[in-house]
Amino acid sequence: MPARGAPRSHLLMGAVAGVVAAMVALAVGELVAAIIGRAASPIVVVGGTFIDNTPEWLKSFAIETFGERDKDALLLGIGSTLLIAAAILGMVATRWRLIGWAGVALLGVVGAIAALTRPTGTLIDVLPSMLGAVAGIVALTLILPGRRPALTAAMTDGRPTRRRFLAASAGFIAVAAVATGVSRALAPTASAGDLLAVPIPDEPAGPLPVGVEMGIPGQTPFVTPNGSFYRVDTALVIPTVDVATWSLRIHGMVDTELNLTMEQLVSRPTIERVITLCCVSNPVGGRYIGNATWVGVPLRALLEEAGVQGGADQIVSRSVDGMTIGTPTSVAMDGRDAMVAVAMNGEPLPPVNGYPARLLVPGLFGYVSATKWLTELELTTFDAYDAYWVQRGWAQEAPIVTMSRIDTPKPLSQVAAGRVMVAGVAWAQHRGITAVEVRADGGAWQQAQLASVPSEDTWRQWSLAWDATPGSHRLEVRATDGTGAVQTEARAEPFPSGATGWYSTVFTVAGA
Amino acid sequence: MSRRHAFLGVIAAGSIFLGASGAAAQSPMASMDAMGSPAPMMSPGMMGEPFGPACSAVPADGAGSFVGMAAVPVATAASANPLLSTLVTAVTAAGLVDTLNTAEDITVFAPTNDAFTALDPATLAAALADPTGLLTTVLTYHVVPGRIAPDALEGTHTTLQGADLTVAVSGDTFIVNGTANVICGNVQTANATVYIIDGVLLPPTDGAMASPDMMASPMASTAP
Repeated sequence: MPARGAPRSHLLMGAVAGVVAAMVALAVGELVAAIIGRAASPIVVVGGTFIDNTPEWLKSFAIETFGERDKDALLLGIGSTLLIAAAILGMVATRWRLIGWAGVALLGVVGAIAALTRPTGTLIDVLPSMLGAVAGIVALTLILPGRRPALTAAMTDGRPTRRRFLAASAGFIAVAAVATGVSRALAPTASAGDLLAVPIPDEPAGPLPVGVEMGIPGQTPFVTPNGSFYRVDTALVIPTVDVATWSLRIHGMVDTELNLTMEQLVSRPTIERVITLCCVSNPVGGRYIGNATWVGVPLRALLEEAGVQGGADQIVSRSVDGMTIGTPTSVAMDGRDAMVAVAMNGEPLPPVNGYPARLLVPGLFGYVSATKWLTELELTTFDAYDAYWVQRGWAQEAPIVTMSRIDTPKPLSQVAAGRVMVAGVAWAQHRGITAVEVRADGGAWQQAQLASVPSEDTWRQWSLAWDATPGSHRLEVRATDGTGAVQTEARAEPFPSGATGWYSTVFTVAGA
Repeated sequence: MSRRHAFLGVIAAGSIFLGASGAAAQSPMASMDAMGSPAPMMSPGMMGEPFGPACSAVPADGAGSFVGMAAVPVATAASANPLLSTLVTAVTAAGLVDTLNTAEDITVFAPTNDAFTALDPATLAAALADPTGLLTTVLTYHVVPGRIAPDALEGTHTTLQGADLTVAVSGDTFIVNGTANVICGNVQTANATVYIIDGVLLPPTDGAMASPDMMASPMASTAP
């Protein structure tokens, strides 16, 4: 055996030991994360940091090459890199044990830093990475025979030593597998713990008025079921919130800071209202809009309880995952049914729609009002703070733009000749819709029939019976809101304050 | 068990383990939209990659890139793509922007700017002069219901204008109606699969089967 340098067999054992130690470190990291109930396992925090900082060219490459498996591909890339690093550290450790330990410790520190710099990172989040690193060092030490003569012996005639090496490796692989299994069992699922029980509202919405639903085939239904409700957000991971440990903190420019558990929140008077929520990214004719019945605590009551101080013109609300949304205080307090909502169409908020609580302010686009996974309300000023989307150039104040669309006939469809039921929805939340008009092929505007509505905070169905001649036709629609303002024909893109323009659709009427 | 086998086995186990851990930290990836606007996730790779010689001419990033186009409806996507600016002008003139953007699940054969340039000028002028008639007819002849994958592209398809078009394969090129080549195909947008072609398709008159000899429209001069 050569006196200097490690024989290849030593390096082989070192690589194996390094890989097994990495597996143990990651598994223990996941287990610790599951035990403390935080999404802070080493892979999650390093992966999240990496994804947040991925350069555009790499994102594009990943999406083009891997499609919707792109995130898996990126994480697998991280995993493979870690594997190679672990193998190298193991090989190093056969000769310079301390450097091997230092390498594992350094990886643990990297994980800890990643955990702390996540948007919702706190001090406890370093535990999974640090304890994982400790476990990795222990595994590395116990698997690798300590002395080089023993290493050499293991690879020549040292059957007992080799057996011990293989047994230790297999043993630690088993430890990693068990730790992973336990952490999976502990991990909260979407229906973690006891789901919030939907409170019976003190002020129910009451039955919907007669004639709110026209029921024309192809028309958007008045109520959007929870499973069909649109979802737009930036959440990389849907936050899994345990309602038993959730709280809502109201602070900032207030006389009294409030810290409410869910039980304390819903012990206050609750209201039930039908509110239509819309995304600012909704293009003309788009579907990023939905209507539901919501139960919650009026926001104004909460703010009055806290005592908003003069000059606090912005409410900055925060999600569990760090998202920020800025709402004008004056709008929230002007008497409209702004609320902290905890139920949607008779059920607790689905996780993708903000479980266990979200903000709702009728009449404002979602990006300035509808914070999901709500955990904090801070009273501050617009001068002092720009919320997430405002930082990216979207308008600070964003009342919903009056809009209407044709649901049926569908674009480029073929319809039978004769009487055609043209139908759709229109909206101008908190101003209401007072008229909808349709014109065919640039002709005269015809008044559409309007469905009834429970309040001004929802969309409104409309329909028009139209006698069609055969051939291709183009229909346009426009709405008038409760202030008498007619929807503008001028086209604007969604950025920065909502799309505008009259929706049109082209289709063919059959017949000779 | 030889040590080589043990080594490979541990590496394999480690790779699977790490891959599974990564996949377990699973979540929907938020929009990679270069504009940074709130929008749901859609990625072009969901139905295979774009193919064709002209795909390299598609912008590498921004709203007109494959990633950018995948997140928005087809007319909006086309307006971000410099290869299709003439098409966008025609679609806008015909008043078809909203229609194309809100049609659900369609396939669009999109002629490039050069394709429009190659079109007989009298035909083009006649179409632009009749936006709700001839122009709409020509443009809707480029739209087929359903999102057609490349492996289902060959054959006859009934367009939303009413007449059929035929796609044939020659070597590894798709040719539509014997005249227009697919130069970048299977481009995904939010509501449509797009095949960029190098010729403008002219619908047959009277609903007859489309073929190169029969494509003259009443208002055009002799086709080239």
